[in-house]
Amino acid sequence: MDELYLDNIDEYVNDHNKIVTYKWLSLTLGVHVNTAKQMLFHYLDHKRKESSAQLHATYLVSGKFVDKGQASHKVSVVREDKLEDVKAKMSLIVSVHVYSVQKALLKDSGPLYSVDYDAVKDNFQNCSKYSAISCSSAQPLSPLEQTREIQRAPTPEPVAKRPAQNGEAAPASKASTKPPKGIMGMFANKTTSKNQDKEVKSEEKEEAPAVVASKSKPAAKANPMSNFFGSQTAKKPDKAVKEEEAAAQSTCGAELRPQSSQPEEKQKAASQSPPKDVKKDVKKDVKKDVKKDLKKDAKKDVKKDSRSKTKRIEDSDSEEEKMEKKKRRRIKKPEPDSSDEDVIPDSPQPMETEEMSPPPKPEVEAVSHSRPSLPGTKIRKRRRVLKSQIFLDDEGCMVTEKGYESESYSEAEDDFQAGKQPAKNPVPAKLPAPSREDQKKSQKKASANANKGSKQASIMGFFQKK
Amino acid sequence: MTTLTRQDINFGQVVADILCEFLEVAIHLILYVREVYPSGIFQKRKKYNVPVQMSCHPELNQYIQDTLHCVKPLIEKNDAEKVVVVIMDKEHHPVERFVFEISQPTLLSISSDTLLSHVEQLLRAFILKISVCDAVLNSNPPGCSFTVLVHTRDAATRNMEKVQVIKDFPWIVADEQEVHMQEPRLIPLKTMTSDIVKMQLYVEERAQKT
Repeated sequence: MDELYLDNIDEYVNDHNKIVTYKWLSLTLGVHVNTAKQMLFHYLDHKRKESSAQLHATYLVSGKFVDKGQASHKVSVVREDKLEDVKAKMSLIVSVHVYSVQKALLKDSGPLYSVDYDAVKDNFQNCSKYSAISCSSAQPLSPLEQTREIQRAPTPEPVAKRPAQNGEAAPASKASTKPPKGIMGMFANKTTSKNQDKEVKSEEKEEAPAVVASKSKPAAKANPMSNFFGSQTAKKPDKAVKEEEAAAQSTCGAELRPQSSQPEEKQKAASQSPPKDVKKDVKKDVKKDVKKDLKKDAKKDVKKDSRSKTKRIEDSDSEEEKMEKKKRRRIKKPEPDSSDEDVIPDSPQPMETEEMSPPPKPEVEAVSHSRPSLPGTKIRKRRRVLKSQIFLDDEGCMVTEKGYESESYSEAEDDFQAGKQPAKNPVPAKLPAPSREDQKKSQKKASANANKGSKQASIMGFFQKK
Repeated sequence: MTTLTRQDINFGQVVADILCEFLEVAIHLILYVREVYPSGIFQKRKKYNVPVQMSCHPELNQYIQDTLHCVKPLIEKNDAEKVVVVIMDKEHHPVERFVFEISQPTLLSISSDTLLSHVEQLLRAFILKISVCDAVLNSNPPGCSFTVLVHTRDAATRNMEKVQVIKDFPWIVADEQEVHMQEPRLIPLKTMTSDIVKMQLYVEERAQKT
């Protein structure tokens, strides 16, 4: 290959101050990943010999690792200074290659993921074009089948396959022929069974490079399990974002489906969260086997952030929902204010319940003041009934106003007449002349009023007879 | 598909929300990368689909949140010109200043279909740039502290002083000492232009830090 690539990489690293990962390089330059790895290696070599600028590199080490008698396959991204340590700890090193080159000394592995995220997202359909991992029976689904798969329940994902060695073409079949060992064994079976799950296959190609990009320092991170599955979701956000773009509204709806027990699932537009299910199923079995430390270790802590993120992604529709909630709250609040002044503190706050729904009838009063009614006479009369009206005032707040309205009724239906005055919500209610405690309480009751007919058991009924 | 105009009640708030969330993440990240606080208090969290470092210390978080809560109304009205995170040494002389210049187009209507994912992508690039900024900056002396300054257009701060947005969290006019830096070197980090906001991030660094 020509030497131009050295200048290219130089430009990216020094002039743009970018982090150049092999995957990003392969997608940018359009070369096979193994070529990209070699390019980075040569570049690093070259620069180190010149000893001009200070460069830092990270390496990907993969190999057999024996921990407390349990053997596992460990893939990790390490900083240069820790490289020898990690290599010494492995019992068998399968592959070591340059993962990235950058000018800055990275304190943590987060940016390594960010670098690839956009590059892969842009090339989503063919990001495995340059990949060294392939499976001949994996065929991409047609869109129809894809949607069907999305609706199906999520299935567990296979574990990472070994990355290609530098300069070697390592076939993906190696992963399945490898003698099952610990977690690998468990997932080897799953891999074969998954062959029918085509949707997974189309992702596998993308998964594999993503999983290969498992990061962090080999010094044990807190949650190996969640880390392990953290990477499996590496490609999920890509797909999720794509589907978001495709169906903005529906995904917003899906994302609003919130705060379930699986906060991570929320971010997926569809139910593409097999890793989480696997996490639950497999966690017990493979707790110690998996030593892969991957990015996003604190996935569980993501709850707050993903919530805030989805909140942000919601468009104005959900903003309106929030506004409405605020409006509703505004109604609720003034009512307790008015009631607090006049009501005995231990009275329940009936307005806390939905103010729209008619409360227990406040009219059930033992005393009728305005209109004496002769029992037995069925006269059609008009009476003043406390009704509430709900309207928007000039501030845009919804205001509930209680007022008297004339209403015709028949005497026999209701003997009781409450002599109340209208009460406006933010203003403390004035009391009628016979100011009884129970009347006060029932006056403050929110909104809608009286059916003519039945005496409904009032929540204030407790206080009726005094 | 909704088109939002600035007159829409929600538009200003949506933009302000987005920016304040971003600023919160950015401030935490700056504190992490510049080692203002020991890295032990930071925890990896996720924002814009990428891992970021956020602090777990409750008082620090509360301080940052209160600060941004007060800044939000300024952003809503497009009064905030710059939000500056100043890192100061022990003598309270600024050592580094991370300047976020924000400007919003006054009148526009946009379609929000791909807008937010585009903005997310741009903000992600900002986060990435902050992560690698220590390649271009000299390291800070130990014992640094930080503060947040807001440069506003016109006299918007007069309203802020009158009305305490958050109780017991007053904003005061910054001292000359905190604002002025000797021999600053300017290092641009990132610029973004989108339909809803234009933002620029650069760092002013004191030539001699110790």
